[in-house]
Formats: sequence, C-alpha cells, structure tokens
Amino acid sequence: MNNNSMLRFYGWFTLLGLLVGGLVVLAYYKDEYREWKDYQRKFVQEEVRRAATPQLKALAESTPVEVRQILLPELNRVDRCTTCHLAVEDPSYGGYPQPLAYHPQHDQHPFEKFGCTICHRGQGRATTVADAHGGVAHWDQPMLPLQYIQASCGQCHEAADNPAAPELARGQELFETSGCRGCHKLNGVGGNIGPELDKVGTRRSPEWLKKHFLAPADVTPNSAMPPQNFSETNLEAIVLFMLSQTGETAPGYYASMKVIPSADQGQHLFQQKGCIGCHTVAGRGGKVGPVLDDVGLRRSPEWMMQHFRDPQSVTPGSVMPKFGFTETEARALTEFLLHLKERNLASSMPSFMNPVERGREVFRKYGCAGCHGADAKGGVPNPNAKTAEQVPGLLHVADGYTVPQLKARIINGQREINALDPKRPPPPLYMPAWGAVIKDAEADDLVAYLISLKPKGDDVGF
Amino acid sequence: MTSSFLLHIQPAKVHKHSLKAGYSLGLGLISLYLFLILIGTGVLLMFYYVPSTDRAYNTMKDLQFVVSAGLLIRNMHRWAAHMMVLFVMLHLCRVFYTGAYKRPREFNWVLGVGLFLMTLGLSFTGYLLPWDQLAFWAITVGTSIASYAPVIGPKIKFVLLGGNVVGQESLTRFYALHVIVLPVITLLMVAVHLWRVRKDGGLSRPDEAGDVTEQIPLAQLPTNKSYGLMELARGTTPQVGKNPEDDVFSWPHLVFREILLFLLVAAVVLFLAIFFNAPLEEFANPIHPPNPAKAPWYFLGLQEFVSYSAFWGGVVIPGLLVTALLLLPYLDRKRVGVGRWFARERWIANSIFTVCLLAAIVFTVIGTCFRGPNWGWVEPWQQPPASAESH
Repeated sequence: MNNNSMLRFYGWFTLLGLLVGGLVVLAYYKDEYREWKDYQRKFVQEEVRRAATPQLKALAESTPVEVRQILLPELNRVDRCTTCHLAVEDPSYGGYPQPLAYHPQHDQHPFEKFGCTICHRGQGRATTVADAHGGVAHWDQPMLPLQYIQASCGQCHEAADNPAAPELARGQELFETSGCRGCHKLNGVGGNIGPELDKVGTRRSPEWLKKHFLAPADVTPNSAMPPQNFSETNLEAIVLFMLSQTGETAPGYYASMKVIPSADQGQHLFQQKGCIGCHTVAGRGGKVGPVLDDVGLRRSPEWMMQHFRDPQSVTPGSVMPKFGFTETEARALTEFLLHLKERNLASSMPSFMNPVERGREVFRKYGCAGCHGADAKGGVPNPNAKTAEQVPGLLHVADGYTVPQLKARIINGQREINALDPKRPPPPLYMPAWGAVIKDAEADDLVAYLISLKPKGDDVGF
Repeated sequence: MTSSFLLHIQPAKVHKHSLKAGYSLGLGLISLYLFLILIGTGVLLMFYYVPSTDRAYNTMKDLQFVVSAGLLIRNMHRWAAHMMVLFVMLHLCRVFYTGAYKRPREFNWVLGVGLFLMTLGLSFTGYLLPWDQLAFWAITVGTSIASYAPVIGPKIKFVLLGGNVVGQESLTRFYALHVIVLPVITLLMVAVHLWRVRKDGGLSRPDEAGDVTEQIPLAQLPTNKSYGLMELARGTTPQVGKNPEDDVFSWPHLVFREILLFLLVAAVVLFLAIFFNAPLEEFANPIHPPNPAKAPWYFLGLQEFVSYSAFWGGVVIPGLLVTALLLLPYLDRKRVGVGRWFARERWIANSIFTVCLLAAIVFTVIGTCFRGPNWGWVEPWQQPPASAESH
C-alpha cells in the first residue's frame, strides 16, 4: 500500500469514525435526556426554596433524580406517574399547578395499594407526558377526563351503592330505565340487535359516545338505533356509565370491595337468600323464625353480626342454619334490618309484588321500553316497518293475543318485520327471541303486565 | 490478537479483483456485520426480555421508558434485522448476476440459499416476541400461509405454534428458535460459507490466461514449493493461479476496507435507531384482528400470491422458486460469464432471474402498499375511508 492510499484510508477512517462517534454521543444524549428529569429538578428546587433550615436544605438538595414507581403486581400494573407528580401525597402542595399538585381525598385509596391508572387510566409504565397520559397511537386507554372520573369507581364498587359516585349511579339508572338492554347485552343480559357493551368504555371516547346518543347514524352509518333525547345532564351521566364498562374485573383484594355494605345491598341479599321463607316482614313471610319488623329495636348491631356468623352462639337452640355469610354480607344485612322501618318494602321487593307489578319490573329489566316506548306506549321509529314505520306500542295486545300466544311471541321473537315498501331496506329493528335470556317465571309476569295494559273501559259496548 | 484472528480467518494475500467495491458491493460482508450487530444487541435484549405472554409486552414498554439505552438497542436490533433480510437478498442477486455460483462454487451457493432461508426464519421468529398486535397477527397470517402446504402444512403450523392458534406455547417456541436454535445453525453455516470462499479461491473473478479452474490432483503440484493446507484448493486461488503480480497483501489492503465498511454499517444502523423507533402496537388481542392483517414485509409478496390461490401462491410457486434456487448451479453448468456483472453470454439466465425478481418486487410492493381492508385495492396516497367500525 503506497502512502497515497494509506492517507486516503486514514481520511476515510477519521471521517467515518467521527460519524459513528458523533452518532454514539447523540444516542447517549437522547437516552440521557428524559423530560421527567426536568420535572424532578423543578421539584427539588421548590423543596430547597421551602427549606427552613440548612439541614433541611441539604436534605432537599440530596433528593435523588430517579424514576419513581408504584408496583401493583395484583393489578398487573406499574405506575410511574409519581416520577413527575412528586407531591401527590404532600398536602402542603395543595393548589400547586401540575405536575406538582397534591392529590386530595386519597385516604381510602392509598397510592401504594391502588396506584394511579386504575382510576385515571393512561399508561402507567410510560415516563413521557404524551405516552403516560395515553393519548398516543397504539394505546387504547387514554386518561379519563376528570369530569368522568366516577366511571372508574364501577370497576370495584357496585354503582348503585357507592355514595361517592352519584353520577355513576344515575347513569346506571338511566341505562336500566331507558330500555338500552332491549337491544344491547351488558354482562350477558340484553338483546342482540345492537353490539354488546361489555367493553364499550375502552373502545369509545366520550365525544364519540355523545354524538352517538344524539344521532347514532352520524357516527355509525345505517345504525338501527333511534336517536335518544337525553337532557344535557342525563347525557353526561349515561356517557359516564358507558365509560365505566371496561370489561375488566378487579382481582382479589380489590374485588372484595365490590360491595360497600349498605341497606340496599342487605335488602338484595335478604331476598336472594330467601330469609322470608322463615321470617315475617310487613305481614308477609314464614312463621318458623321470629317477626323481624322491630328487630332493630330489640337487638344491637353487634348482636346481629354475631348472629349472622353463628346463630347458635347468641341464640342457643336456634334452628337457623349457619349461612356462611361474608363479613361484608353480614354487615349489609345488619344495615338492612336496622333500617327496616324506614324502607317501603311493598314497592321495592319482588316477593311483595303481584304478577303485574313484577311484570313491570321485567319490562324495565330487559329494556323493552327501548323499542316499545316508555310504559309500552310505542312511538319509537323503525323506518319502513308496516306498522306506521314505528315499533308498535303494546297497550292493546290483550285484544290480539291469548296468554300462551303472547308468551310464545316473546320467547320466539320475530326476525323478519313486514316492510311497508319491499324495495326499501328492511326495517332495522326486530323482535329478538327472548327465550334464551328471560326466565320462564319472568315471562309469565311480563305477559300478565302486558295484558293488564289494556285501557279500562275498552270493553264497554262489547 | 487482532491481527492473528483477522489474518487467519482470511488469506494472507488476495487478488486485486476481490477488492473492487464495484464488483462485490460488499454485500456479503455487510450481511455478516449486521448479523454480528444482531447478536450483540440480541444478547443485551435477552437481559430484559421475558418470553411470557403476560410480560413480554411490558418488557418492551420498560425498555422504552426506563432501561438505559433500551429503546436504542431495540431499535438497532429491529432495523439491523430488516436490513439483514434486505442485504442477504441483494447479496444473492449480486452472486447471480456475476455468475459467481458456477464451478467451483456450486455448493457455496447452496449454502448461501440456506443462509437466506435462515435469515428469513430468524427475522420471522423474532417478529412474534414483542407480543403486540403487529406481532400476533403477522405470525398468525405467516403460519397460516405455511399451513397451505399439502399433507404436512397443518402439521408444520401446529408444530411451529405448539397448538392451533398463537399462544404462550408459540411464544416459547419462537423464542427458543430465535435466540438459540437458528442463531447457532446460522453461525455454523456462516463459518462454512466463509471457509468455502477461501477453499474456492477467494471471490469469483473472470478467468485469466493460465488460471487453473480444474482441481489439480495433489500428485501434479510442483514439489519445489511448500503448501499450507488451506492452499490445497481448487479453482482460482491466488496461490494456484500464476499471476502473483495481481495479488496484494490482505493487510492492509483488505482489512482496511473491511474496517471502513464496518464503520459505515454501524453508522447507518445507529442513525436509523436514533431517529426511527421500532413499531410497537397495542397488546396482542386474539379477538380483535386488524383489517387487513399483514405478514412481515418480506412475506407480503407471498401473501399477495396466496390471495389469488392458496395452493398455487402458498405452496407451488414458493416451493418451485426455492427448489430452482437450490438446484441452479447444477442446472446452469456452463462456465461462462463468471466474475462479470450481466455477462452477455448469460442473457437467458439473467433474463429469467430478472423477471422472477421483478415479479417478486411487484407483488411485495402491491401487498405492502396497495392492500387495505379485506385485502381490497387501495392506493397508498389516498387515505382509506374512515372505517365505520362495524356496529
């Protein structure tokens, strides 16, 4: 190799060597610079500024700059939010701008047990603002806007008995009374005209949901769903309830918090476990056990709790079996019995109702109103249906059907709806077959209710 | 140590022709460098990666967000892998167009085709490991192409996946194949491939007057010269040939060039890794297929074929192509046009190869850029209509 080509080699070697070296330095800088470090330095500055004594100042200055994380193995999460939100547990940072703000009201949900993303969503493992807040491509859980935060309570708690989540409870109430289940399945109960809603909260944004409720066909072309006339506040509530449907079930410890023991829950258990088979309440029930109307005056809550755990331990010789209630269940039942007097049982317990009343509940439970209108009065549009392009009301079914015919009709449904104009697309709404969903006794009650709808006085002149 | 290693893995002297960048384009060496970079970054990734369907995706996230240089290493691995597939293909084309597979290099060509398939296997098995939507559905599609083979196809798919669908067993198998089985086989084949380059007399070059192209029986070698074992080669080795004035010492002529090429490859890989992130989609969701679900890009030509006919596109055509590649040096035996690009004497072979190559490129481009939902035709410059998710 002559000198000339040697020189050329060294020239190229230097150039490429510098290029590679430069890229390595660039890679190092890019890796070393992370935006969370800026936030941590600002926090340290603030701590130093607040330090009252030199000792405290030295302590503040020695705060390490490092990733902070909350490991939540049971939830399969790692939340690194506290890498930037460093003062969430320090009340003296109340009112500070983000990311240094204090998080109020977290005593019942300590961060080390719950982390952040179980309520706020977003991407806990991420350490950049954009990724962590989750509004990035390929992450389907962006942060929940604060106005909808109650949607997260539903993951661990029953919506209806969490006093801290009134919006969620209202959303659920709207869902159950607006007839949504007539077409949509949720947790396995409902019709199959529309899609299942079990995971709708992770698939849809609040904006999409709002548009969809007001004008379904605008966001889902050819949707069969009729537009819903929700007021502004009801719209927010139903959107919130939809957002709460993530399909995730909280594991272990978290699931045990499902029920906040309440009188409502107690009443539910009271019916479910068949207590009324032996005990009498409000004049109804069995005679084996004592009457319970005034039990709240006779017994202390502690006595009742012990009684639920082991009846013989407080009432030797009692024939009441050990039901094996959990502590939460026992507390809920106790709560119910203590407040028995104030509750209007006749209007709220199916075992106290007649078939027509129960049927009305069935009508409500399965969302029949979604298509047949509130109180079965009809009026829901079904374009191109022969029945005046509406889903028929049910006030006069008693005239057209016998009881067995009506029951068969509910159980078997009707897939093909007669069209007004065969050339136009067939009517989108149809009667699903409810046989697989609805219980036989429920169907009987429902028929009784529908027959009873016939307006009084119609028979005059017969 | 450096000199003893570098100068023993390659000959002391090489022919000047071998140094011409315009001849070999350095494609084989680039492939080798990429493979070495992949081994290095791959081992680093193994320090963090857990081949479990629960944790694999999370380790990707941790690499990105908390591991020092984690994202850089992953990006380097990803881009070097794609580049290796590309450069191995280019290397294959170079060897074809220069007729370098002809006697005495027939077997090394076969090894090369094997290495090409190994490279595809390595890339494909690595594709599943991040356990995101991209990985899950690409492997689902890729293995279903394999299942179109008659009789044994479904078995191949079942054995690869450890079941009928992609799951934990598939991840375990792909991981074992990706980090130990295929790399070890590839490494051994690379060693033999490089050794054969020396045995066959260095890089191919045009025959010169006095070149010995037939194997010389040992008895006929002049005895007034001492031979090293490696010199007992057939073909156009510098030592066997009679033009010592065309030979130059490997150090520095060859080694310097190799060093420069390595720096260039390293620079390109680093550049890509710094400025472009390896893709990572949502956590794998077996009930939510993307539409369309696409195989890795190097199988998209195949997927496009399959969209016309599963049997012809998925079995017959690729089977014939691979068989033809493997048999090529034994079918095209006439030793003409060796060591020159696009030799005119070889116009028939070159034309056939070019047509096949262009077809493969066209189908791959169609599969990559022109296929949208339900494998329908879309033009890439048009935004697909905001798919009204079926309600």
